[in-house]
Amino acid sequence: MSLLEVTGLTVRFGGLVALDGVDVVVAEGETVGVIGPNGSGKTTLFNALTGLLAPAAGDVVFLGRRLTGLEAHAIARLGIARTFQASRLCLDLSAFDNILIGMHARRRTGLLDSVVRRGRLVGEMRAAIERASHLLALFNRDLPRRGFERVGQLPQIDRRRVEICRALAAGPRLLLLDEPSAGMNPEETAELMRDLRIVRDEMPGLSVVIIEHDMFVIEGVSQRVVAFNYGRKIAEGSFAEVARHTEVRAAYLGTETAHA
Amino acid sequence: MSRDLAGVWLTEAAVFTLVVAGILAERPWALGATGGALVAAGGLVRFVPRLGAALAGAFARRRAAALAGGAVLALALPLALRSSPYWTFVATLALLYVTTGQGLNFQIGTAGVINLAGAAFAGLGGYAVGLLTVAGGWPAWLAVLVGPWAAVLVGTILFVPILKTRGHYLALVTIAFVFIFNILVNNLEFTGGPQGIKNIPTLSLAGYAFTTRPALAGVELPAHANFYYAALVMAGLTTWVLRRLHDSWLGLALNTLRDDEIAARCCGVSVTRGKLLAFSIGNFFIGLGGAFYAVVVGFVSPPDFDFGYSLVMLSVIIIGGVDSIPGVVLGACLLVPLPERFRFLHEYRLLLYGVVIVVMLLYRPRGLWPARIRRYR
Repeated sequence: MSLLEVTGLTVRFGGLVALDGVDVVVAEGETVGVIGPNGSGKTTLFNALTGLLAPAAGDVVFLGRRLTGLEAHAIARLGIARTFQASRLCLDLSAFDNILIGMHARRRTGLLDSVVRRGRLVGEMRAAIERASHLLALFNRDLPRRGFERVGQLPQIDRRRVEICRALAAGPRLLLLDEPSAGMNPEETAELMRDLRIVRDEMPGLSVVIIEHDMFVIEGVSQRVVAFNYGRKIAEGSFAEVARHTEVRAAYLGTETAHA
Repeated sequence: MSRDLAGVWLTEAAVFTLVVAGILAERPWALGATGGALVAAGGLVRFVPRLGAALAGAFARRRAAALAGGAVLALALPLALRSSPYWTFVATLALLYVTTGQGLNFQIGTAGVINLAGAAFAGLGGYAVGLLTVAGGWPAWLAVLVGPWAAVLVGTILFVPILKTRGHYLALVTIAFVFIFNILVNNLEFTGGPQGIKNIPTLSLAGYAFTTRPALAGVELPAHANFYYAALVMAGLTTWVLRRLHDSWLGLALNTLRDDEIAARCCGVSVTRGKLLAFSIGNFFIGLGGAFYAVVVGFVSPPDFDFGYSLVMLSVIIIGGVDSIPGVVLGACLLVPLPERFRFLHEYRLLLYGVVIVVMLLYRPRGLWPARIRRYR
């Protein structure tokens, strides 16, 4: 059964068509890679899926529910979590706080518990911090010890991990990763690939859509690849199939006629 | 362990003694000496790392004892200031600024909702008390409890433009509101125009009027001591409630909204709900400070709530530490009494004020008591 069904999704910025009638299907437990040149509409797809942009046309159905018209926070609560190309962590807050906000939607204590029945809140927070430590430890066993430090003091790769943990903390059914290797050197990228495999192994039911420019990452983690150009889906299939596709090669390398 | 306890209490007692001595000093040299001693002590703690770390450790290990010690000293303050009753009034004002400051800090510091209309929301609380008691004949204590809701209510109406703007624009919207509020109370008939509302009855509980001079074990306390103690309870409760709200899911969600609204939304945080809660809760405590002010002073008039007071409230937060709850207490306790103490500088003391804020923003933007990492205790 498919978890996410996108049909005819169109996003316009004034006269510019950023997404043009895109159809994408994501099955449960599947990892889909999204590739395409800069400006081909990959991030726009994520923004439309998570409710940050309102599509001009088309439908998004997630777990049998239409998402179009819902606000971003409501979509997040239905089980779609994401990371961002440029890190969007709160650098002044602790690593734990940054992960805890991912669990915010599933909190069971209210304002009254925060003030007068404090025991309940503290108990819930302890459990949440425990869970955050567990998530951090999946990627780096030393990281939970630094959980109460400002996240701005952590190295780049660990910040990226905190961001992935924040998304996982929400207990999502669908995880959208927007170019997680952006700004990383080859060693860090290798570590990131290891991290993504850990996510795979630890959460087999989780569906992942990953935008990447690094073809080694795409080849290494995705079961299916979708290629974009000028807001359109130009190819879909296994990595090998898509890599052979003439339109994809043209989009990345240019055509003979373009150079002539 | 008992060395920690001694360290904590001795430090508190020493600061208290120096502060009281500074307040009561009549000669400039005595004021200079106590002020110098305080600054020197602060410098010592700041620049001798071992001493600073030892004290910080002692206070951290003996939190309950430190709070208890502070409470005892706060209770003893009117006793120590007996020879100069005016200063008990100033201390009461400082506690009112703690209350409004905490409310405003919850909006500006925690949620990033830049509200420069603090004076107007305090004014709404104050005028509500004036109208309820003088025109409505309500008892003062009931009016003080109901008055703040006027600030909450009007805040909710103002919420639509506040949700739609952010940053500088939001600041401008709220500045406009202070001026609208001032023009309205200055010109409306039922608010008494420029005269304001006079003869607001004093607080009385079970027949005991708060203007009675209290006596403690045969020692007479200054006339304002009753108000001081009531304000102490109010500021203490406000600080307690807001500290708990800050170290909770709400405080975390508001911090995330402040730092990165898009990330917060994608984590399931509703911008509308978060900002509305922060704005309303903050306005309640700002209004509470204003309501209490009305019964302490006995009258409210437009100049009591003009834009300048918004800036004083903002300065309390900047000096203390944005988003820092103990910082607000420190900021109010410094910023309210100090200009009073330097009255002999006449109008120049306001210049001093501006210089202090500019220096703080340049060299210590996080304030004297910066916000700490949440531990959820």
